[in-house]
Amino acid sequence: MPEGTLCNKMPVDTAEGITTLLSDTSGDTYYQEMKELEVDSDLLWKTIQNTCKSRMKTWLEICAHCGMCAESCFLYLVNGRDPKQVPAYKIQSTLGEIIKRKGKVDNQFMRDTMEVAWAKCTCCNRCGMYCPHGIDTGIMFGYLRGLLYQQGFVPWELKIGAGMHRVYRAQMDVTDADFVDTFEWMVEEYEDDYPGLTVPVDKEGAGIMYTVNAREVKHYPEDLAEAAILFHIAGENWTVPSKGWEETSLAMFAGDWAACKMQVESVYDAMERLKPKRMIGTECGHAHRATVIEGPYWAGRKNGQPPVESIHYVEWLAEALNTGKLKIDPSKRIKEPVTLQDSCNYIRNQGLKQATRDIMKHIVAPGYFIEMSPNKEHNYCCGGGGGFNGIGKFRKQRNIALIAKRDQILATGAKLVLAPCHNCWDAIRDLEEEYEIGIRWSFLKPIVIKMLDIPDHLRPEE
Amino acid sequence: MFKKILFATSATEASDHAARVAFNIAKTYQSNLNIFHVLGVPTRGYSQVVVDVKTKERVDVDEDYTAWVTEEIKIYYEKYLDEPLDYTIDVAIGLPAREILRQAKTLQPDLILIGGSTGDEDDIVYKKSSVGSTLQKVAKAAKCPVLIVNRPAASFWGGLSNIVFGTDFSKTSDKAFDFAIKVAKALDCELSVFHALDITSLHTGKMLSQDEIEQQIRECLRKIRSRYESRLKELKGYSMDVWEGIPFIEIVKYARDKQADLLIMAHHSRRAPSGDIKLGGNVEQVIVRAGCPVISINK
Repeated sequence: MPEGTLCNKMPVDTAEGITTLLSDTSGDTYYQEMKELEVDSDLLWKTIQNTCKSRMKTWLEICAHCGMCAESCFLYLVNGRDPKQVPAYKIQSTLGEIIKRKGKVDNQFMRDTMEVAWAKCTCCNRCGMYCPHGIDTGIMFGYLRGLLYQQGFVPWELKIGAGMHRVYRAQMDVTDADFVDTFEWMVEEYEDDYPGLTVPVDKEGAGIMYTVNAREVKHYPEDLAEAAILFHIAGENWTVPSKGWEETSLAMFAGDWAACKMQVESVYDAMERLKPKRMIGTECGHAHRATVIEGPYWAGRKNGQPPVESIHYVEWLAEALNTGKLKIDPSKRIKEPVTLQDSCNYIRNQGLKQATRDIMKHIVAPGYFIEMSPNKEHNYCCGGGGGFNGIGKFRKQRNIALIAKRDQILATGAKLVLAPCHNCWDAIRDLEEEYEIGIRWSFLKPIVIKMLDIPDHLRPEE
Repeated sequence: MFKKILFATSATEASDHAARVAFNIAKTYQSNLNIFHVLGVPTRGYSQVVVDVKTKERVDVDEDYTAWVTEEIKIYYEKYLDEPLDYTIDVAIGLPAREILRQAKTLQPDLILIGGSTGDEDDIVYKKSSVGSTLQKVAKAAKCPVLIVNRPAASFWGGLSNIVFGTDFSKTSDKAFDFAIKVAKALDCELSVFHALDITSLHTGKMLSQDEIEQQIRECLRKIRSRYESRLKELKGYSMDVWEGIPFIEIVKYARDKQADLLIMAHHSRRAPSGDIKLGGNVEQVIVRAGCPVISINK
């Protein structure tokens, strides 16, 4: 049985297809079928010839096997310095080997490669900073995932996740109507406390078009209210699109390049349609990477930029605090040891470290902010990036991966961890569940709202 | 009166007292009872894994699992469900408070019925990001009255005859009064309107003389009369009282004194003239201590 009914080379692009896959609890049948899945070596080699460009080829070629990348990889460190966890080894023994063999690899090889690609690399790109040649294994793994996806060797949850984007243009089965409805519901719930609070949908020419993570709509809708409250208090002219509101991309984690393009184009269409001055996404790292950093290339935009200026939530928040659009009541600032998780996707990979430090200056009383070590662009991945958090099959490996972050947090002595990224937030929560080190964790929005100095005219009437 | 009741339950001991009241009311007033259980919090990002709040196990939630949980709930409440009762059972995944509110948004019940705290504050399943308990969040945001049964003592309930309504003279309290009148009329109960004069926080650092206290009590009584008495006359029986002390303690004492079988209060009355932000806290304290069910009204 070369092609399974669940595990095959076809992407899922119907709601029924997703339901069928979901009903295969834990993907048991899916992974069983994967053992029989045939490798289409011709297709694999042809794809490599068409897509593996000079940068990737050069990187594979010039790697001197010096091992400088070893210590830079948190997975190497938390797995007993296993030589098989050295980034150079990981990529050479997978992508390097496939190319060397001109795509003639077997099923077992592909399944092993799948494990390396999703359980031994979170695409955090830290190794790229330490390689004397600047070789970025994370980028190569991103590419390798695309090859694996095309051949059907992709973790069950990510096949579903990519399918969700194809069907719903969202990472979960949240429809456009659900999104608008939930946002309006949340605003209604808070309008007594914040008179005049609204959610302007599809307003043309607004200052800000706000995009979110579908998880917020599905499970944490307070986040939507909090975003509305902060824009409202800051006096922003903002809007949300009724279509193209999802900033994230599990398709990127899955390596489903076609779905990546579909997803990001839905957001760009909203930008073109509503012509906002700027787009701001929620507190999510990979969403920013997908829609703002990589997306323009998926969509074939020549200038490598989204249609309108797009910034991360922390950039907006830092700006609002620095310019006084949002004022903090100094007596309400955090007065306990607190640390900050730097998200790989916008700190290391986009250099926004100053924005988050500015925010900390405003919201933490002097002397209470404790940096992790290492930090900023040198910070370690939370342990759950790149899709790792969601893959049941690699749960054990993921839990080991959390150790690096656990020890970093413990070393700060802080009991409160601010994590302005969904993936990091999840990983830190999971690490508390797994290791019980007695910490609390939070996004920035709820923390900032609690300490706002709200102008009289925006307060509820006495 | 209570055509549709949403009973949010953990389907564990923590909800047993509330369950007794829920089934009792539903039977007495021929209500449609929706038994609603949030089985766990979705962890692991976008994965399908949930930690079940009852079993504490990590489970893959699929149709089979929710069907099994529904069956478990049926078995748990077997003794109530044996008798004729118009009920449905729904199971959801998510943060309990949010999912209860979402369910209420869909069902539009006349009453949400909920048990007290599970008591296990360190319960890792719900530790999550939630600030404050499920109860507080539901009571704050619900659009219909929320009936809370916290103590076992509050659940020995044989029907309604005496209702105590606690007021702080806020707008929300007026709404709560409308509801209290409606219930008292529909179920032919006596209604006692009560205000507790706060002698603790209102005058911090200043000891009130007894004359001053009594003067204020008289003022409050006048206020109660002018605000509520005309409508109270429509009832078969009513009384109006003001006691001084720590408000939540006085309310609980008063309810006991009146042998009340239901307490009605406004939950979110921060716009009270006194600006007393502790009033929300008062309701919570009353809920924890009351010897009868408490209905909290927000909107």
